[in-house]
Amino acid sequence: MKKIFLTRLTLLFLICIGLTNCTDPYKMETNTFEDALVVEATITNILQKQTIKVSRTYRFEDFGPTFEENADVFVTDSDGIEYPFVQSNNVYTSVNEFQAVPGKQYQLTVITSDGKKYTSTKEILPTDSPLEEVTANVATIDNVTGVEIRAKSYNPNGSSQYYRFEYEETYKIVAPKWITTKAFFSGPNPNQPILTMLPRTEEARTCYSTDKSLEIIQLNTNETAEDRVDFPVRFISNQNYIMSHRYSILVRQYVQNAHAYNYYKALKKLAGSGGNILSPNQPGFLIGNIKSVNNSSEKVIGFFDVSPVSSKRIFFNYADLFPDKPLPPYKVNCTELSQKYCFSTLDPSCNGPSVVGYINTNVMVIYKFDEAPIYILTPAPCGDCTTFSSNVIPSFWE
Amino acid sequence: MKKILLALFILAYSQAAFSQEKQKLSLELNNSDVPTALNKIEATSGYKFYFDNSWLENYKNIRITKNFNQASLDEILTEIFSNTDLNFFVDKNTVILTNNSIIYSKLADNYFGETTTRKSDEVVIQGDPVFYQQYDDATSGDSKNNSVSLIGKEAKVSGRKTFELSGYIKNTKNGEPIANVIIKTPNNEATAMTDDTGHYSIQLPSGLNVVEVESFTHKKVTRKIMMYNNGTLNLNITENITLLEEVNVRGKKREGAKAAIAGVTSIDIKDLKNVPTVLGERDILKIATTIPGIKSAGEGSSGVNVRGGKEDQNLFLLDNATLYNPAHFFGLFSAINPYTIDKADIYKGSIPAEFGGRLSSVFDISTKKGNTTKFSGEGGIGPVTSNLMVTTPIVKEKSSLLVGGRATYSDWILKSLNEPSLKNSQANFFDIITKYNHKINDNNDIQATFYYSRDAFSITSDSLYKYSNRLATLRWNHNFNEKHKGALILTNSEYKFNIDFDKAESQRAFNYGYKIDETQAQLKFNYDYNKKHTFNYGISSKLYGVNPGFLDPIGENSKLVSVALDKQKGLESALYIADNFKFNDKLSFNIGLRYSVFAALGASNQRIYEDGLPKSNETVAEIQTFGNNEVVKTYGGFEPRLAIKYAFTDDFSIKAGYDKTYQYMHLLSSNTTQSPTDVWKLSDINVKPQDAQQISLGAYKTFKDEMYEVSLEGYYKRMNNILDYKVGAEIMLNKNIETELLQGEGKAYGVELLLKKTAGKLNGWIGYTYSRTLIKLDSPFDVEKVNNGAFFAANFDKPHDFSAVLNYKFTKRYSLSMNFIYQTGRPITYPVGKYQFGNAEYTLYSDRNAFRIPDYYRMDIGINIEGNHKIKKLAHSFWNISVYNVLGRNNPYSVYFVTENGQVKGYKTSIFSIPVPTITYNFRF
Repeated sequence: MKKIFLTRLTLLFLICIGLTNCTDPYKMETNTFEDALVVEATITNILQKQTIKVSRTYRFEDFGPTFEENADVFVTDSDGIEYPFVQSNNVYTSVNEFQAVPGKQYQLTVITSDGKKYTSTKEILPTDSPLEEVTANVATIDNVTGVEIRAKSYNPNGSSQYYRFEYEETYKIVAPKWITTKAFFSGPNPNQPILTMLPRTEEARTCYSTDKSLEIIQLNTNETAEDRVDFPVRFISNQNYIMSHRYSILVRQYVQNAHAYNYYKALKKLAGSGGNILSPNQPGFLIGNIKSVNNSSEKVIGFFDVSPVSSKRIFFNYADLFPDKPLPPYKVNCTELSQKYCFSTLDPSCNGPSVVGYINTNVMVIYKFDEAPIYILTPAPCGDCTTFSSNVIPSFWE
Repeated sequence: MKKILLALFILAYSQAAFSQEKQKLSLELNNSDVPTALNKIEATSGYKFYFDNSWLENYKNIRITKNFNQASLDEILTEIFSNTDLNFFVDKNTVILTNNSIIYSKLADNYFGETTTRKSDEVVIQGDPVFYQQYDDATSGDSKNNSVSLIGKEAKVSGRKTFELSGYIKNTKNGEPIANVIIKTPNNEATAMTDDTGHYSIQLPSGLNVVEVESFTHKKVTRKIMMYNNGTLNLNITENITLLEEVNVRGKKREGAKAAIAGVTSIDIKDLKNVPTVLGERDILKIATTIPGIKSAGEGSSGVNVRGGKEDQNLFLLDNATLYNPAHFFGLFSAINPYTIDKADIYKGSIPAEFGGRLSSVFDISTKKGNTTKFSGEGGIGPVTSNLMVTTPIVKEKSSLLVGGRATYSDWILKSLNEPSLKNSQANFFDIITKYNHKINDNNDIQATFYYSRDAFSITSDSLYKYSNRLATLRWNHNFNEKHKGALILTNSEYKFNIDFDKAESQRAFNYGYKIDETQAQLKFNYDYNKKHTFNYGISSKLYGVNPGFLDPIGENSKLVSVALDKQKGLESALYIADNFKFNDKLSFNIGLRYSVFAALGASNQRIYEDGLPKSNETVAEIQTFGNNEVVKTYGGFEPRLAIKYAFTDDFSIKAGYDKTYQYMHLLSSNTTQSPTDVWKLSDINVKPQDAQQISLGAYKTFKDEMYEVSLEGYYKRMNNILDYKVGAEIMLNKNIETELLQGEGKAYGVELLLKKTAGKLNGWIGYTYSRTLIKLDSPFDVEKVNNGAFFAANFDKPHDFSAVLNYKFTKRYSLSMNFIYQTGRPITYPVGKYQFGNAEYTLYSDRNAFRIPDYYRMDIGINIEGNHKIKKLAHSFWNISVYNVLGRNNPYSVYFVTENGQVKGYKTSIFSIPVPTITYNFRF
């Protein structure tokens, strides 16, 4: 439904009549920057060291957030028990393992190093409806064939209703033009080095990448007859290289209360380009459940959510779901480039300086060298997966 | 004529003796007309007649059949002229005929005295005959219109001080009577107004009078009238399309002189052509937005904001029926065919008691009456649209039919483009209107109007948006007597839209739609109680049916489930009475009282939420069920409309007003501006009606014979329960929309200055407004607060607004028009930073509307070239060449921000960033 409101320029055909682009990138002003505290906290029903992220807003030209250092962070429950958190690696982790239990109220307090105090409203743990199953099936959606990952759960009491999902997908990568050797440069002149092909010392053919879900994925079962979840969390096109070999996905299901659900939903809506081009959605500041104690009009971003969580991991192989089908195209187009490794200024076919540049900057690697000084080069990801992934086998991999 | 009369005067003056010979004549007249009769007399006697043939033109139809046997010439001529205004004077064998005047045998005592220099509009001494001296004075002056109408047959014994002048005022072009034309003497001692049949009657002092005839839609006419007796003067007045010095927008000044209403503007549709156009279309709404106090959110926005009111607070009436969406194509064109419109009255304050249901304004648009005498028409051919209006008599002088239509051929333009993404898109609209008039007799007439407009456009190749307006009116006007008139009006309006998303074999293919329908019965009465009091009263009742949304899957592959929201029903009724009370020449009042009541009707399920908690799915206390037509909830209240006017002098007056309005329906739009897919929602248990109160004060002054007009108006307005939304609200197909709504208060104030020059080679107007509109959305609950519960600028708050519309007429055929608009940039909610949350990057927004987009300014120019002015010509035509946005200003319409691949990006939309030239050919026949 939303897609159709993602209006593009076409509407303005009449106005533009091909003469001018009516929608232009707009240079953001930055002198308008507002500094605000950002809290991302979900306390779960799993007995573990709970984590809370506390950061600050940042300017458009900056690359990432600044973490709020040296804050005093703790959660108190309705029995008066305080769970302190300590800073470690840009997150605040609880000193002790603890879990949220039904029937108790929890409240988050953050006191920043400059003494400002922020508290959340008191939250309770919603009824759990554990994730029962995660499935992977071949499906065709809007003429695209691929794999649909569905999460399934069922609460016969109908009391959960609001769900949020996260996933982490891990996939095996095999570099299609990997060879056992690798180019090394040596010699006195770094501009005209001697090229030697030596055996690789590290794994570079098989790698494992892990990506986290970026979008907010939600479902509510309010309008359905049963509190039953059978929800497509992820769809992967069969043209996506990530499932070329073996693929694993960990789906995490959070049960939310209505307030938290609505906060995440509105956050997602605001991030999209809802509305149509002539009347965009009204944006605004979205208030969560955390407020400043000292200054009630101060903007505080984020939500303190107390949520039952359950997760399931599945694995599948491309060949099992798509037997006898060709593999999806690789991440990059593995073209081959023939180069002559020599440095004579008289011979125009000499590409020595280019080859040195390509290899030193990790843009290309050598694929064939049996006709030296003619070398066949290929883009680096095709011959060495560590250029974009990790050769460490994840502990859960099976 | 003048010379003949002067000669007559000299003749009369020089005659020493005024004896009449008593010659007896015998004469047989058998169905003879006047000239024949006179010829016969000449033939049978020695008399010679002197007269102007043109006088007899008026009496062509007089036939005399009589035998005179040895009758005196006196007797015969008295008989012949008995039904005419002709007098005669016999001097020996010479008979001098005079039109109106009697030739007296002696002069008035004061003929050579000082009194002869008195002004022509002063009253002559009672009972004294009217002499030509006055006439000389009047006609020898440097007057624009030299013709003098001689009224009544002078009686030697009249002796009366005043006489009644009555008659009909009609349109020269089609012979239609024109109502609401003011006939008055320049000093306003005597005024009259035509009724619906065009009839007027005015008491004028005997002797020479100057009478001004003025209407909002026609050119002012000044006539010199010699009153000899009671008489009739029928006038044809011209809309005169060739007269470019005409004013484009006329304040209802003369009505203002009678009524006390402030804040009303009339647009004369015929003069729209003097304003540069967009894509060749003459547009009433575009003109309206150049009037102080009326603004649009920007090019490409369908709605207008009147004095700080939201887009949904304007009542658009087309021949009394509600027009829900007055815009085609996102507001780039207005949905009303300008060729079929007679006039538009816009009330931005002091809304008369007969109107109700919207808070901020009434656009009362009436269509032309068809021509009852001959077939005629008008049309225009432009680059995007073409337009045609024809009218024809059905029963001559009694009934007529008018048909107007308009359509675009922009699809064709699209198809011819090379850009593939545009080739599959479409955008087209059309509208048709028909009006039938039937005059049953002098006291009864019937009008029927039907209107339909439809828009379709696709913005992606797989979605199609459609919306349509339909309305029908049936009106019966009845005169109980000269003073008491009534009308029964039945109307029906429908607005609906559809979105078809039909991607081939998609699992998400659907058809989404919305519909609102209203049927109204209305009785209106007008009672001229006496010179001081005129009463308007009436009753109306309107039934709404809303189909608030449905979604049906399309095709076998669609996996969507049908959704249909419950229908909503409501009945809105009102009773009103207003007294136009003229206390004396200086002080007048308009006291109106309206009582309106709204009942939300079942069948319906209504949620009752727990007290003291925000409305949400979690705070439902109970669900109440109502049967069909069961009253769910009623709201109502008095809406006083008070206005007072005090005229210090004839050309300077002040007016003040207070009015209260209720609105029982709301337009749901979570966007910053109005779009055709916004839906109307009726009030119910959880959504309260909106109300507003406005006080206004204005001062009005004219200079140089009303050539210049200056007005300064100020207003202050408070609104309650105006609708807004929680941030990120989901409105489409929301069964429990009240959980997303916020109702807050608004305040608006402003000062509006308008300078107009209504005549001369250069004419036009300049308007400036300073205004603010502020909204407050406060609540005990944080989720229902915006900007922490403080007042903030509304989306359409543009404090400075300047517009100038000017015409310069070089010759009768060539004129240049220009308009210039400057507005403060619209407020926006600006991203003020980014933050990371759940692996992605999000935007932090400022307080609502804390920033503004850059100021808006634009200049357009247009040239009108008239066809030649031969009267006997098949069609009258003119060309209009205009350039929109001459300065090529890239006015940002909106600025918005999206998160793409975890990165925040800003985009700016502008509608016309380059000059857009158009040429249009217009014709009428």
